[in-house]
Amino acid sequence: MKKISLAQVKADQKCRIAEIQGGSNLHNKLMHMGVFKGKDVTKLSHIGLRGPVVIRAGRSILALGHGIAVKVMVEVE
Amino acid sequence: MIKKIYLIGNPNVGKSVVFSRLTGVNVISSNYPGTTVEIYKGYVDLGDEKIEVVDLPGTYSLEPTSHAEGVAVSLLKENSKSEIAVINILDATNLERNLLLTLQLIEEGFPVIACLNMCDEAGHRGVHIDTEALERLLEIPVVSTCAVTGVGIKSLIERIQSAAPVSRDRIASRERWAEVGRRVEQGQLLEHRHHTLREMIEDASVRPFTGLVMAAAVIYASFKIVRFVGEFIIGRITDPIFIDLYRPVLERLTRYWKEDGFWFHLLIGDLIDGKIDFKQSLGVLTTAPYIEFGMVLPYVISFYFILSVLEDIGYLPRLAILLDNLMHRLGLHGFAVIPVLLGFGCNVPGILATRALESKRERFIAATIISIGVPCVPLQAMIFGLLGKFGGFYVCGVYLVLFSLIIILGVILNRLLTGYSPEFLLEIPPYRFPPLATLLAKLYLRVKGFLVEAVPVVMLGVLFVNLLIYFKLFDFITGISAPVIHGLFGLPKESVVALVIGFIRKDVAVGMLMPLGLSAKQLFIGATLLAISFPCIATFVVIWKELGFKDLMKATTIMVAISIIVGTLLNFTIVP
Repeated sequence: MKKISLAQVKADQKCRIAEIQGGSNLHNKLMHMGVFKGKDVTKLSHIGLRGPVVIRAGRSILALGHGIAVKVMVEVE
Repeated sequence: MIKKIYLIGNPNVGKSVVFSRLTGVNVISSNYPGTTVEIYKGYVDLGDEKIEVVDLPGTYSLEPTSHAEGVAVSLLKENSKSEIAVINILDATNLERNLLLTLQLIEEGFPVIACLNMCDEAGHRGVHIDTEALERLLEIPVVSTCAVTGVGIKSLIERIQSAAPVSRDRIASRERWAEVGRRVEQGQLLEHRHHTLREMIEDASVRPFTGLVMAAAVIYASFKIVRFVGEFIIGRITDPIFIDLYRPVLERLTRYWKEDGFWFHLLIGDLIDGKIDFKQSLGVLTTAPYIEFGMVLPYVISFYFILSVLEDIGYLPRLAILLDNLMHRLGLHGFAVIPVLLGFGCNVPGILATRALESKRERFIAATIISIGVPCVPLQAMIFGLLGKFGGFYVCGVYLVLFSLIIILGVILNRLLTGYSPEFLLEIPPYRFPPLATLLAKLYLRVKGFLVEAVPVVMLGVLFVNLLIYFKLFDFITGISAPVIHGLFGLPKESVVALVIGFIRKDVAVGMLMPLGLSAKQLFIGATLLAISFPCIATFVVIWKELGFKDLMKATTIMVAISIIVGTLLNFTIVP
């Protein structure tokens, strides 16, 4: 188990949300979109170097801007 | 007693489709989050009474994060809870997340009825929901529907009145997740299934390499199809009607009129080589209808057809992901691609769509960029019609200038304006394949909207111009503006008329340039200036309403400055 940010995860890798390093606003927003501590997500792709990260969370696909992706810490096997 | 019914739910769950089904009022619905940015109202028959139904913009929670969401939440809270019913529309394929808003609504004490929409798609995707169990758990009525086909709408209407508030204590949001999780597990049965071809294409369209290749192909194909269909309609339908049917009628009608009389001038205009020339005569009965029906309408139809296909399939959010990087340099994020694309149809819905952006700063940048750098369909159609004969080089030139302007302007505004741009966060819907009937209904709605708004303005515009020309009232403006128009832009001084008329409508304005006999270079400069200078009055008013007078003035100053700089630069750098 290691803790890295969503931006560092490789494409097609599964991970579990460990921590969201942001204000309550970001917490809230992500939670209502289905991303919260303990949730298993799969990273689908990462556009460019500092582009958005696309993940599958539950049955929805979400695109997170790079600035958000670096704040979402996840655990990978 | 219920006085009002509100439709609320997460973005892109089909609220607008349910709304259209309930009320018979057709509104635009698409497959991306944030289609609805305005409040729509209609009526549904409930027993003997007509009850008002309000379609709200989608929201993930009752704590709003964008302008559109804020409006939804504040409207919901303005009535007494005993006088309203709330239809909470949920995406049946994604119940777990959607139920969070339901719980919030129940906790706030709203009388809620849950409408599990897209149940057909849920079935295809292997999701089976036990609505009765869910009903017992939530203690509210639960109805499953498929609004696109109309299944379940009748029982939704029948059960609206049974919506009543559920009494329960507020639960902290962290615990709420556990509750949602428990409930969904009890209500939902999931089948294990394999990846489908659709999912493979979905994946490929958001990966860096395959995504960009697909985006390039989609944009290229869309452009080609818009031109092909537009030219087909002009060549096979509208031109034959105008030239073979309408012109002989007009000629017979005018045979006994004096050619230099007042009415002849007003209605028919000038004869070119003794004949009516629809492009140059400039009469209320000749050029005005030809501009609208013979040059612009065919492209309005072809553009909106392609746009509707892309919207309903769900491609636009994927384009937003791919262009997020670029948009960040302009102080926007990927989602702003959608207002910009809508702006290519007409700037007004484009600027309205910026309501889905979070900050005022973003909305200002997006609205300014749209009104300066994004030409609407009528303007583009006229540019094709006018510059096309000089070759694709000039047409591409206009687009190149506008595209560079968008980038330069965005970068500068991003540097100059205080504040920062929020990060991109968007839900990407699955690809869906809309029935042709749905597409055609949407196309009809948009084309009708165009005709209702454009035709009267164009007719009156041409009438107004002809009156001004007849009474020689333009001479004054032509005189004082000559140093700029002729001296800086290299255009004949009469073309100021076109720039002024551009404030009324862009297509008429380009029409004003047609009889002036301009060279390719002059036409190129004229058309570019029309695109970037003052937006038409409708856009002007929308910017005012959406951003306020101060921002309108800021945007206008930027426009005037850019027009002068670009016009001068083009004039002195291009060798004809």
